Amino acid sequence: MIRRPTNHLLSNMNRRKMLKLSGATAAGLGANMMMPNSAYAADGGDIAFWGTGTLDIGDMWDQANKDAGLNVSFIDNGNDPGPIVARLVAGNANAIYDVSGLQGGAERELAQQGAIAPWDVSKIPNYDKVWQWAKDIPFLYNEGKQYGLPGVVNADSIIYRKDKLGIVDSYGVIFDKKLKGRVAMEDAWINSAIFTAMYLKESENADIKEPGNLSESELGLVMEFLIKHKVDGQFRTFWNGWEQGVQLIADEEVDAMTGWEPIVLEGQKRGLDVAYAEPIEGYEGWGNNLLLHSGAVERGLSDAAHEFANWIYGGFYGAQLSLSRGYVVPSDLNVEYAKAHSDIINADKVAEVTEHVRNKFSGKIYWQNTRPDNFQLYEQWWQRLRNA
Amino acid sequence: MFQIKRGLSLAIPAFLLLAIVGFIPLLIILYWSFWAWDPSTYWIKPDLSFDAYLAIGEVGRWTVLLSTFGKAFFAAILCLLVGYPAAMAIHFVATSRWAFILMALFTIPFFMSYLIRAFSWRLVLGRKGLINNFLVDIGIVDQPIDWLLFSDFAVMVGLVASYLPFVIFPLILSMQRVEPNFIAASQDLGASFLRTLFTIIIPLTKPGIFAGFLFVFVMSSGSSTEVKMLGGAGESMISIMINDVMRVVNFPLAFAISGVTIVLLLGIIIVGNRVFGLTKLFEDV
Repeated sequence: MIRRPTNHLLSNMNRRKMLKLSGATAAGLGANMMMPNSAYAADGGDIAFWGTGTLDIGDMWDQANKDAGLNVSFIDNGNDPGPIVARLVAGNANAIYDVSGLQGGAERELAQQGAIAPWDVSKIPNYDKVWQWAKDIPFLYNEGKQYGLPGVVNADSIIYRKDKLGIVDSYGVIFDKKLKGRVAMEDAWINSAIFTAMYLKESENADIKEPGNLSESELGLVMEFLIKHKVDGQFRTFWNGWEQGVQLIADEEVDAMTGWEPIVLEGQKRGLDVAYAEPIEGYEGWGNNLLLHSGAVERGLSDAAHEFANWIYGGFYGAQLSLSRGYVVPSDLNVEYAKAHSDIINADKVAEVTEHVRNKFSGKIYWQNTRPDNFQLYEQWWQRLRNA
Repeated sequence: MFQIKRGLSLAIPAFLLLAIVGFIPLLIILYWSFWAWDPSTYWIKPDLSFDAYLAIGEVGRWTVLLSTFGKAFFAAILCLLVGYPAAMAIHFVATSRWAFILMALFTIPFFMSYLIRAFSWRLVLGRKGLINNFLVDIGIVDQPIDWLLFSDFAVMVGLVASYLPFVIFPLILSMQRVEPNFIAASQDLGASFLRTLFTIIIPLTKPGIFAGFLFVFVMSSGSSTEVKMLGGAGESMISIMINDVMRVVNFPLAFAISGVTIVLLLGIIIVGNRVFGLTKLFEDV
């Protein structure tokens, strides 16, 4: 039986070797240089950051060493919440990695299993500059303690062909019979169930309390609706991954699909009149939250992990991520940092991305939840949908 | 006897490797499939529970097993129908130089990632793909044909293109064991090509036919990429279903699905060997 090691004899040296063996690149050594907004004393340390691939900034992790003396190793966790949770609780992830970057929703479960430890935000001075609504993401807290930090946020809706459909402002377009066979959704209940629930709740007045955490009867309603449309041939396909999403739009396989905003930019680059909808039902907000592994605390890396979180909020990381991915670290420091370093960072672009994402969150938001209460029931319904 | 013993001793490392990385994990999975989920450890605990096996009968999971084997069966048959003439051309018609070139050509698809291989079919079969563009350009159709992509047709194209070489090589191997005198005698006695094919060549290459079928069938049964990239909305395969189940940490069910799949595949191999005599491939000429 695989269980998380409890003797904690796996030294940082061994861990480091393991990470190197697994192909992770350790951040190089650099001169110590405090960040402009970092008030917390930086003692440095080795941090193995196990995060969603899109959180990686490649060689630029070196900056964490220059700013805070942190050697950051980034390891892609595959962004599949189920296996990640299983590896953290019952596998070896807690013994190898120190901090996770995971889509929100699993915090309570991980905290109850003792896989993650609470953060002490008083040790993260830059947390003061985090936007309040991001601090209010419900998944971050369990029994009065804060187990998640809102690392990166964005909000998703519908990608559509404006030249063909005009202005789209509702998820109803996905279920419009006139677009039969010309729409797609993601092959993931985590996203497709909540989008459908949002539509049914807001535009069809369905009795749904929280689209991100459906009860048994609500889930049945939502999935029956999806099954009916699937059987009617409404969906061209259910897509997986970035390349497939881009191809669907770029090769004009679909006229509308639920999905990620960067796909719009890719379509526009290819000369297509593609737009991202501002739905009246609201956006599906998601937070990729930072989680402190219990194993890291037991290895004496709690302070280093807090330094790491403080560095994430310091501005450099957020500015880089906004430029490379269009995502936002929910803090004012990104723009401040970019402006202070406008000779090397496109400050206008960082400000534009930040404002754009912040505007999305000024309206109605339903939070993506990777671990709804009935998550195994979601899977059963998804099988029914697949087999319909 | 000495040679047999020496042969067996040489094979020990391979047997050990196969046991360690193959059989033992499979047996563990079968064993664990009877265990029960334990929320307190977030893992499974010893039990003798058939719940996971019963769950295969729910929410249409058994239809995924059937449809997977159905797709794999048709892919294997299509590969045989396409691959048999190709193998005959390589073995009976081509010079040794051309045989080498043709065999190399059949391996080219494996020079690229299986993901790219499957994805490239989207660019061929899609609404703006090569085939639809051609059909529209020459006026056969007014609008692109939608069913070329995201359909069972597309899945079959992807599977056949991926696994065709796996029937060709066993077929060539079995054709090499066909005594040329038999074919010459058949022709001397006035048999037509088709009569020689159906009464001499095919019966003598049955082990190769089954070996090729088996390779494609087993690999297609375990594939997911072709279905995910080329199949219709939410189309499933056994491996996709196992992945879905693992995502919600329903380990016993994932193990049970794997167990049923392994048992069914073993059953097919044993029955097929009885009928087609797979072991004849390894007998002396």
